[in-house]
Amino acid sequence: MEVSDGERRFRILVCIDGSDESYRGLKYAAKLGGGVDADIVLLYVRPVDQGLRTGGLQVQVARANMLEWGLELPGIKYLKKGRDMLVELGEMGEDWREESTHTAVEGVALGDNKIEYINKDGKKIVLKLKVANDIASGILDQWEIGQYDIIILGASGKWRGMAKALWDPAVAEKIAVHAPCSVIVTRDLEIGNGHLICVDGSEKSLDMVRKDATLASRCQCPISLISVSLDVEGEEQAADNVARAKEMLENLGIEVAETLIRVGSPVEEIIEAGPDFSLIVVSDTSKTGLRRFFMGSVAFKVMENAHNSVMIVR
Amino acid sequence: MAPNYRRGFCAIQTSIKISRLPQAVAFRSRLSLYFLWERKWFFVAMGVGALLLQAPLPPGLTYDGQVVLTMSVVAIILFITEPIPLPTVALLIVAGQVLLMGLDSSAVAQSLMSDSVLFIGGSLMLAVAVVKQKLDKRIAWLIVRVTGTRTSRICFGISLVSGLLASFIGEHTVAAMMLPVGITLVSLTSDDPKKVRNLAAAVMFSIAYGASIAGIGSPSGGARNAIMIGYWKEFFFDPDKPETKQYLVDYLKWMAYAYPIFLIQLPFMSMLILFTFRPEYRDISRAVVKLRAQVEKEGPMNVRDWVAIVLFFLVLIGWVTVSDQIGMGTVAILGAAAFLIAGLVRWEEINTGVNWGVVLIYAAAISLGVEMKETGAARWVAESFLAFLAPFGADEGFGLLAAVSVLTTAVTNIMSNGAAVAVLGPIVLKVAVVAQENPIVIGFITAISSSFAYLTVIGTPACTIVYASGYMKTTDFLKVGWRMVVMSTVIMLAVAVIYWPFLQN
Repeated sequence: MEVSDGERRFRILVCIDGSDESYRGLKYAAKLGGGVDADIVLLYVRPVDQGLRTGGLQVQVARANMLEWGLELPGIKYLKKGRDMLVELGEMGEDWREESTHTAVEGVALGDNKIEYINKDGKKIVLKLKVANDIASGILDQWEIGQYDIIILGASGKWRGMAKALWDPAVAEKIAVHAPCSVIVTRDLEIGNGHLICVDGSEKSLDMVRKDATLASRCQCPISLISVSLDVEGEEQAADNVARAKEMLENLGIEVAETLIRVGSPVEEIIEAGPDFSLIVVSDTSKTGLRRFFMGSVAFKVMENAHNSVMIVR
Repeated sequence: MAPNYRRGFCAIQTSIKISRLPQAVAFRSRLSLYFLWERKWFFVAMGVGALLLQAPLPPGLTYDGQVVLTMSVVAIILFITEPIPLPTVALLIVAGQVLLMGLDSSAVAQSLMSDSVLFIGGSLMLAVAVVKQKLDKRIAWLIVRVTGTRTSRICFGISLVSGLLASFIGEHTVAAMMLPVGITLVSLTSDDPKKVRNLAAAVMFSIAYGASIAGIGSPSGGARNAIMIGYWKEFFFDPDKPETKQYLVDYLKWMAYAYPIFLIQLPFMSMLILFTFRPEYRDISRAVVKLRAQVEKEGPMNVRDWVAIVLFFLVLIGWVTVSDQIGMGTVAILGAAAFLIAGLVRWEEINTGVNWGVVLIYAAAISLGVEMKETGAARWVAESFLAFLAPFGADEGFGLLAAVSVLTTAVTNIMSNGAAVAVLGPIVLKVAVVAQENPIVIGFITAISSSFAYLTVIGTPACTIVYASGYMKTTDFLKVGWRMVVMSTVIMLAVAVIYWPFLQN
C-alpha cells in the first residue's frame, strides 16, 4: 500500500451510461481534474436483474451466453470507450500500471468489477462496473466507499432505470438531493465556457465561492459572479454581496471575469443568464435533510429547470 | 521500519476518517430518510389495504371476499411499484390468507402447489438446460443459410425461428439463446453503434417480438398459458359431470385455438419492424461471412448435441401426447431430470439460472386467484365490471371480448404477463359466467392479450432480456409498440370471431 502524502487526492466520480452526455461530462472531469491532478473514477451502474420480469429465467443466463460468444457486456463497453477517450485526451498514458479486482456480489454472478490504472505519482483512473438495486443507490453506495469530492452525471432521460421512470424521480435528481458532496448535473455541457457562481451573501455561499473558484481557476476556467435581488431596494445589497465575494477572490489571487447584478425572481434570472457559461454554480443552502428532501431551495429549482449544466456545491 | 511505516499509515487513515466523519454522519441520517422514501409505496399500499378493510361491506360481497379483494389490490400496487423485493409479496399473500382470513396453514400451503406451478418450475429448469446446449450458433447459421444475406429476409428468418422455438419452450429461453446471434450480426456489420442504430433495433425487435407473439402458441409457451389452463380446470371442471370435460383444455386443443394467431401475426410484425426502423444496411453479407467462420470453428455436431436435440423433441412429444393424462408439469420436470441425468447441464447452473422467487410468486398469485373464486369475490368484481360496461354496450358478445382484451393489454404492460393472467383470470372467467359467454373464449382472449405488452421493457420476458443487450432505447418500444398492439388486437379479435366458432362445434 502506498500513501505518498498526507493530503488526500481530489477525487471525481463520473457516471457513465453510454450516452453522449455522459462522455461530455467525462471530458469536463478531465479538464476540471487536470488542474488539481485528481483521481477520476468512471462508474457504470447496472440494476440488479429482476427475475420476474424475465419470466423467472435470470438475465445472467443470457449474459453468460453473450460472454461465451466473445461479446462484451454493455457496461464494460461503455467504460472502455471512456478510458480510450481519456487516453486520446492525453489524460492517461500507456505506461500506467493496471490492476483489476473483482468483488462478488451476493446473488449476482458477475458482481462488481474494477480496473485501476495508476501512474508513477499515484494518480488513479478507475473503471468500475457496479451492480445495485437501482442506479441512484449504486452511485450513492460508491460515494460511501470512495468519498468523492465531485459527482458528475448527465440529466439525460436514459438515466431513469428500466421503465421505472414513471414512478421514480430521475436519477440525477436523487443524487443531487442525497449526495453528501458536490454534484454536477450536465445538460448539453459545453466545455470551453466559464463558471457562473451564484452569490447570496451568506457565509456558506462565500465559502462555496472560494471552494469552486479555487477549482475553476486551477483549470483556467473564467469565473463570473451573479447575485439576484428580489426588488429594486435590494439591489444595493446584491451588489455588495458580489463585491465582497470578488474582493475575497482577488485576495486569493483569483481573477473574476464578469459580475452580474439582476433584479427579479432568483431562479428565473439565474436560469436566463446560465446558457453563456459551462456551469451554473449554486450552493446547497438548506441545512437539514428534511428541507432538502422536499426540494424547497433555489438551488434545486435551478437544477431542475436550467437549460444548461448545474453544479451544486457542498 | 515496518512497524513505523504501519503506524504512520494508520495515522493518515485516522486523520482522513476524522475529517470525513461529519459528512458521513450527515449522510447516514439522510440515509434513513432515503430508506423510508424508497419504500413509500409499501406504506401507501398498506394504508390503502387498511382503509379497504375498514370500509363498509358493499352489497353482494362477503367479508372474506372483501379481505381477498383487499389483498389483491395491495398485491397489485406492490407488484407495479416494487418498493420491496417481489417474492416478499408472495410471502405476504400466504401469511395474509392465514392471518386475515383464518384459513388453516396447511390448507394454504397445499393451495400453493398445482400442476401449473410444477410446470412453471419445470419449464424454467428446462429453459436453462436448453440455453446451455450452445445450439444457438448452429441455429443462426441455419437461418442465414436459408434466408441469404438480405437484411429484411434475415430479420424475418430470425423472427420465424425464434417464434417457432418460443411457442414450445418459452420466449425467455429463445431470447437468451438468440440475443448473442443478434448482437453478433449487428456488431460484425459495424463497430460504430451510431451507424447501425436502426439495424440493431430491427434485429433485436425481430428476436424479442418474434418470441413474444409466439409465447401464446402452445400451452408450454409461457407460464400464463399453464395458469389459464389451471383456472379453467379449477373453476369449471367437475369430475361427476361429463359435460364439463370441455373445460379441460389439452395441448392440441390450445394449439388449434392459438397457433394460427401467432402465424398470422408473424409477417405483419416483420413488416412493422422493418417499416419503423428502416435498417441502414440492406445487405449484411460481411457479417454473415464472419458468422460462418465462427460456426465452422465449432466443428461438426457431436453426440452431445444430438442427445440434447433428441431429449428436446422427446419433451415436446410428451407435452403433445401425454400431458392431458400425466400433466404438463410432470412432463416438464421429467425433461429437466433427463437433461440432468444425461449430464448435459449441471444442477448448479440450473440453480443459479432460475429465479425461484418467481415460482413462489406464481404459486401465491394462483392461490389468491382460487381464493377469489371460493369467496365469491371474483363474481362480485365480474358483476361490477359488467355493470360498468353495460352503458357502452360492451357487456356481451364482441364488445365484451374487445373490453376484456383492452383491460388485459393495459394490465400486462405494467406488470409481467404471467402475473397479469394470474390476477385477471378469475375475474374474467366469472365475467364470462355472468354474461353467459363461453369461458374458454374469454380465457383465451385474456391469455393471448397478455402477450401484447409491446410498449414497455418490462412487459414481456423476451423484451427484458433483449433490452439487456444495450442496443435498444426505451423509446424504441413505444415507437413500434403501439403499432404492434393495434395489429395484434385486430388479428386476435378477427380470429376469435371468424375462426373460433368452427372449433366449438
